[in-house]
Amino acid sequence: MRQKKVTDLFITLFLCVGAIISFFPIYLAVINSVKTQGEMFSSFIALPTKLHFENYSQAFDKINLLNSTLNSAIVSVIGIGGIVFCAALAGYKLSRTSGRLSNMIFFLFIASMLVPFHSIMIPLTRMAKNLHVSGSTYGLAIIYIGLGVNMAIFLYHGFVKSIPRELEEAARIDGCGEFQTFFRIIFPLLLPITVTIAILDFLWIWNDFLLPLLMLTDSTKYTLILSTNTLFGEYNKEWSLILAALVLTALPVIVIYAFFQKFIMQGIAEGAIKG
Amino acid sequence: MPIKSYRKYISLLAFIAPAFIFYTLFLLIPTIGGMYYSFTDWNGLNPNYSFNGLANFIEALREDPDFVNSLLFTLKYVLFMVVLQNVLALLLAVFIESKTRTKGFFRTIFFMPNMISTIISAFMWTFVFSQVLPQIAEKTVMKFLDQLWIGDPKYSFYSIIIVSLWNGVGYMMIIYLAALQGVPQSLKEAAHIDGATPFQAFRNVTMPMITHAITICFFLTLNGAFKVYEVVYGLTGGGPGRSTQVITMNIYEEAFSNNFRYGYASAKSVILFIIILIFTFIQIRVMKKKEVEA
Repeated sequence: MRQKKVTDLFITLFLCVGAIISFFPIYLAVINSVKTQGEMFSSFIALPTKLHFENYSQAFDKINLLNSTLNSAIVSVIGIGGIVFCAALAGYKLSRTSGRLSNMIFFLFIASMLVPFHSIMIPLTRMAKNLHVSGSTYGLAIIYIGLGVNMAIFLYHGFVKSIPRELEEAARIDGCGEFQTFFRIIFPLLLPITVTIAILDFLWIWNDFLLPLLMLTDSTKYTLILSTNTLFGEYNKEWSLILAALVLTALPVIVIYAFFQKFIMQGIAEGAIKG
Repeated sequence: MPIKSYRKYISLLAFIAPAFIFYTLFLLIPTIGGMYYSFTDWNGLNPNYSFNGLANFIEALREDPDFVNSLLFTLKYVLFMVVLQNVLALLLAVFIESKTRTKGFFRTIFFMPNMISTIISAFMWTFVFSQVLPQIAEKTVMKFLDQLWIGDPKYSFYSIIIVSLWNGVGYMMIIYLAALQGVPQSLKEAAHIDGATPFQAFRNVTMPMITHAITICFFLTLNGAFKVYEVVYGLTGGGPGRSTQVITMNIYEEAFSNNFRYGYASAKSVILFIIILIFTFIQIRVMKKKEVEA
């Protein structure tokens, strides 16, 4: 019994220390972002005596917050929408068709999941230039469709297997065409895995850094992450300003996390276990 | 060809076309292109280039100490990350799982850093390492905190590991937690009644039930660790000197920031790809065997 108590105490202690480490940088960023530079350097850990929001209004302008957030949102929405649309069609059909061609195409999609981004970034920048999609928000979103479709197809392909074929057959007999059957009957049934895919892709696209860095040159087109990166390079000693920018950049995701925590965790677990 | 199967092909292609067009343009052609360029001396600008066989590969592995060092540094990072990230994530998952009342709270706290973009995490920690820790050392008895966490090659490796763990552990923890939920309570109770210690019960009851999740998490951490870029970029920029340069950074530098040697950089990225394939293949084979035995 005493043994059990000691173990219990150890576990609690471990979790609490871990939680402090986990939360510490976020706490520091938040409390120091509302201090003046002077107050900050006297103590980083102390709570602020008075809330100063000047840093925020400055950061707000410097990272062009509304515009950058809008860019990130456009890229995410179009990217996710495109991935879901294309991958649902392809994943469904590949799952329902037997034969060598279908298997080969499926394998091609899956095999490409192992290719590291750094192995394609050089030809990809060339390709984007040739197609005139580099340097634009919409172009960036379209590239994400190309890069994200393979994993989504993989997940859809697995999920479709659990849907009975009788549904489609009944719809066909009732005179639905193939696409009509898909959009009316199948696609609504795919909702759980669609949510999973949307979440995983949102986390990836919203937080991605390297692809926007390679594609975008005009700062009015920058995503939120890219704007913050530029600010960090320019003002690397003005910590209160930088911290305010970091908090502003992290905020949208944290808000989404607060609302959709359950879905996000489910999505991650499902995406992995199905793999 | 009979009309029926001909129609089947048409319908298959119609459904696949949208995905295949984007995929071909932005993933398939660049992948093949990267392999193709790796055998050339192309510099990205000049339309004329020539094949030079394996010269790029030989140069990278034999005459490019920066590249070899970045490769070795990355391997060291991968080793640390694969072990630490999985051990820590599994420990956290088991501990959180064992305390029913606080489960939700701790899960939320440990997963939160994962929501913050890697590059933003690295910037946050730059503040912690360069400003906060030295001040804590100054004001308290914890003098050991006053180090050049980022500026000294001896410590910067560990700083990179710390930030990577902080940012990444939550993701794996979620997967392990999901797997642990699948272990029937009755089995644990049976083990307990049979007089197994908590550790024995974990080793012989829980572990075999979650081998699948362990395989997946090892695969994910291994793959992720080889591709590490953002943490290092945000924290040390590869410095001081080139002491913390990782392989992806070396490729980026070769292609975009100093020499524009596209062909040579492509060869390096093919080397990275092959290394990842080999490691992944070995890992999956070894672990699948274990899964069967379990």
